[in-house]
Amino acid sequence: MCIHLRQLAVFLFGRLVGYLLFAAIVWSIGASIPRSWVARSWIFGGIQLLLAAALLVYAAGWPHRRRAISDPSARLVQIGNPLRPRTSGALSLGFLTGINLCPPFLVAGVRAAQLGSLSVALLFFVFFFAGTAIWFVPFLSLGFVRRSPAFVTVARVTAVLLACWYGFTGVSILLEKVVYG
Amino acid sequence: MASRSSAISHPPAFRSVARSVLLTLPMALWSLLMFTPSFLQSRREQVIGAGIVIVFMTTLFFFMMRTGSTYRWRRYFFVALGFLFPVGFIAALVVERGTMSIPIERMVSGDTPFCFMVIPMIIVPAALTRTLIFPGSILPTASNPHSMAVMIGLWLALSLVVGKAWCSYVCFFGGIEEGFAAVARRPKLRRLDPRLRLFPWAMLLFIVALSAALFEPVYCTWFCPFKTVTEYAAVRSVETAIQMGIFITLFAALVIVLPLLTKKRTQCAFFCPFGAFQSLFNKINLFEIRFDREKCVDCTLCRSVCPTVALSAESIREGKTLLNCMKCGACVDSCKKSAAVWHLKGTRIAFRPERARLLFLYGTWAMATMFGGSILANSIATVVHFLPWK
Repeated sequence: MCIHLRQLAVFLFGRLVGYLLFAAIVWSIGASIPRSWVARSWIFGGIQLLLAAALLVYAAGWPHRRRAISDPSARLVQIGNPLRPRTSGALSLGFLTGINLCPPFLVAGVRAAQLGSLSVALLFFVFFFAGTAIWFVPFLSLGFVRRSPAFVTVARVTAVLLACWYGFTGVSILLEKVVYG
Repeated sequence: MASRSSAISHPPAFRSVARSVLLTLPMALWSLLMFTPSFLQSRREQVIGAGIVIVFMTTLFFFMMRTGSTYRWRRYFFVALGFLFPVGFIAALVVERGTMSIPIERMVSGDTPFCFMVIPMIIVPAALTRTLIFPGSILPTASNPHSMAVMIGLWLALSLVVGKAWCSYVCFFGGIEEGFAAVARRPKLRRLDPRLRLFPWAMLLFIVALSAALFEPVYCTWFCPFKTVTEYAAVRSVETAIQMGIFITLFAALVIVLPLLTKKRTQCAFFCPFGAFQSLFNKINLFEIRFDREKCVDCTLCRSVCPTVALSAESIREGKTLLNCMKCGACVDSCKKSAAVWHLKGTRIAFRPERARLLFLYGTWAMATMFGGSILANSIATVVHFLPWK
């Protein structure tokens, strides 16, 4: 039990590191963009469109079709083996799941890129981490939903709807820029 | 395949008149109790409206008892509710404001009448930040009696009792499309992809996530087809013009054209996110419809008459409906082998189904009288008020 808790803590630590690293990178990219809204509107309009495209890619199931992510290397994920607990495995798995570019993560990344300071962006992702690590614990057992075609269809349609929304807002921002300068 | 109207048969004399009257008596008393305040008012229109509704609701319940069928009589009420609700609502708006649109100033002051459709969207922001993202008032005010607290309390209590039957006995929007669905004798569009019934769940996830992210009730602002016949933000910009275009398009497609072509409640079955959310109450609700597999001959008549595509071959094989069943009773009334039955959870299948139906109907019809009946009475009073010979 104690070993499992330690492995879980290492896994979560790796995940948090992944989150913070991602927050720092996206915020730096956001901060490197000129401050004036006139210039930023092109960038953020474009980002919204890229986000929409990414969501459509997820909706099409492209990442999972190309690589059997649901069946990763056993050596990497043996974090719960009571005979040979692997700290490095737990750490790397936590880190890799931390930087996994799932749709909510991308949306949070866009938000972080627009925040005023690095500390706020990091804090935002700390709370995002807390949300995914603690708030969703009751939902961990729902991993089986991945095997249900109905759940997968609902998730994909939701991704398409969100893609339409972000596509619309991206185009609106760009059109506003074109019309009003 | 027989059309729905011809498929749903009604036993002419399920019960004797005396027994039916006796069973209707509690509902008649309930109706009188509900509308007593209207009789104490001095406005003649209110008295007329209340009187008509008491007679209407009691008569329909009597026929439910007398014939043993549910769907047909419920539909009369539900369609009347759907078509009369906008009449009373729009008239009140026009009298008060001179327009159906609500100006931003009224929203800021919390004067937007609360609609149950917004409930799934306000939960996450309220839980995380204690912020209510709907521009209404929590408690009743002089200018807005339809407060959020009252409406949410009513909805929760009624949903626990009747589950998703809310969508076929209370929702004042569903009746419009049910009315259009009843027009054609036969469906012109028969083949509907069963995966379409998953779309409301995707819509629910979409609007809940987006409402939490944007802190606004996204469905109401952008996607509610029924804004066309209720109220909407005043069109003062390109954005609000686009919103209005979306409302009208969705209303025309999902509430008028597709129900006419398919004889299904297409907005409820394939779009409404609140309906998907309400389905969850079917899990904890006592009443359901089940199939007696010993009697079922897999004729699929129940599937063809179900207005919300809440039956599949697999679910019937398992003797159940799908989660999105609205308990309208169409399948039970259409089943020639009496295999589809009303059922009380915890009892064995086909154990006194009529008793289960009665228990369900007493609760549901009382709710329909209280909620929909008052809307009907108000709308009838409005119509009477504007009658030219009055």
